[in-house]
Amino acid sequence: MSEYGYIPEAPEQSFGNNKGIFNPKDIYDLTRADKYTNYGQLELIETQNITGVSSTTFSNLGDYNVHFLTVNDFQPIQNGTDLRIRFISNGTEYTGSFYQRALQYGTNGGTFAEEKSTTGTYLRATFNTGNATNEKTSSYTYFYNLLDNTKYNFTSHQISNIGAGSHPEFYMAFGSGVQTSAVSMDTIKLYNAYNNYEADISLYGIRYS
Amino acid sequence: MSLVQIATETVTSAVSYVDLIGTTTDDIYMIAFNNVQPATDATQLVCRVLVNGNPDTSAEYDRAGRQFRTHTSVGTFAGQNETFTYLGGAQSGTNTSETNQGNVYLYNFNNSNEFSFATFETITTDYAQRSYGLKAGFIQTELQACNGLRIYFSSGNIASGTFTLYRQVSS
Repeated sequence: MSEYGYIPEAPEQSFGNNKGIFNPKDIYDLTRADKYTNYGQLELIETQNITGVSSTTFSNLGDYNVHFLTVNDFQPIQNGTDLRIRFISNGTEYTGSFYQRALQYGTNGGTFAEEKSTTGTYLRATFNTGNATNEKTSSYTYFYNLLDNTKYNFTSHQISNIGAGSHPEFYMAFGSGVQTSAVSMDTIKLYNAYNNYEADISLYGIRYS
Repeated sequence: MSLVQIATETVTSAVSYVDLIGTTTDDIYMIAFNNVQPATDATQLVCRVLVNGNPDTSAEYDRAGRQFRTHTSVGTFAGQNETFTYLGGAQSGTNTSETNQGNVYLYNFNNSNEFSFATFETITTDYAQRSYGLKAGFIQTELQACNGLRIYFSSGNIASGTFTLYRQVSS
């Protein structure tokens, strides 16, 4: 018997159009070839290894309803500052007070507090990070409805980082945000408001989410 | 496909720990676990990083997080210079469904020039059938390459559970 139970020739396989009987190896091979129907899977859009800039953009958002962004080894030049998010649509950056956010943060020393705004001009991709050796941030952020011009743009995130304090000062933070213009955004902007930064940032889409 | 399974283990008879080995690139890794239950009542799910397959027992683990509890208000979760770190938000038990489930994102485990970071979310039903959600992070503050994570209970064995390590492809 040939591939997928067919004799003598297997049909062409593609996402959303699989035919035949699949054993575990078939599924593994087709999945790796991105030819197996598997809703909800992460698909890498782009990775940027950033250094020496204060701002970068991800302008290929595909056609996903939900995006997933990872930030690794973020470090700003300006001590104790963060990586911020704004959205761009058709070349227009939304810089006004369209952004609301709420997050909870805490330290390894037992200090816990919240940070919030109903009139913000940005969302957060990281918390405040130090600029000394090994003071870095790792985080992930989900984006919802970026391409939908009938809905607000929502985010949720979780962050692990080292701040500017002594010991090292380890922080965790988690929270959510929303951009309250019902506009289809085509670009995610990630910037530091004070100076350049470095980071490894990957953007993924969640297929058929 | 951007999430590749690296290792998986299903515990059906008691073991003292599960080692998930394979964080051997600079990608971000994710561990998912569910139905993890101790063989001994009232014990907490914990972990240590693995260096060349051996658990690092030095007092270099820092953690911070928030516990969300169904029976009382939000709690704090913090510690520094510990010899291991917690994954469970409470002590789970041996009765039905007194288990742990969660996911852990691992950053810089393969990078010997940076500390090892993690963010994680877990849900635990404790030995008194109370629910604890935990959103937290930890770091291990030694500059070393870690090739995985050892997951175990603070006392006694793991009676059951499924653990899987994935690599999140970034290029």
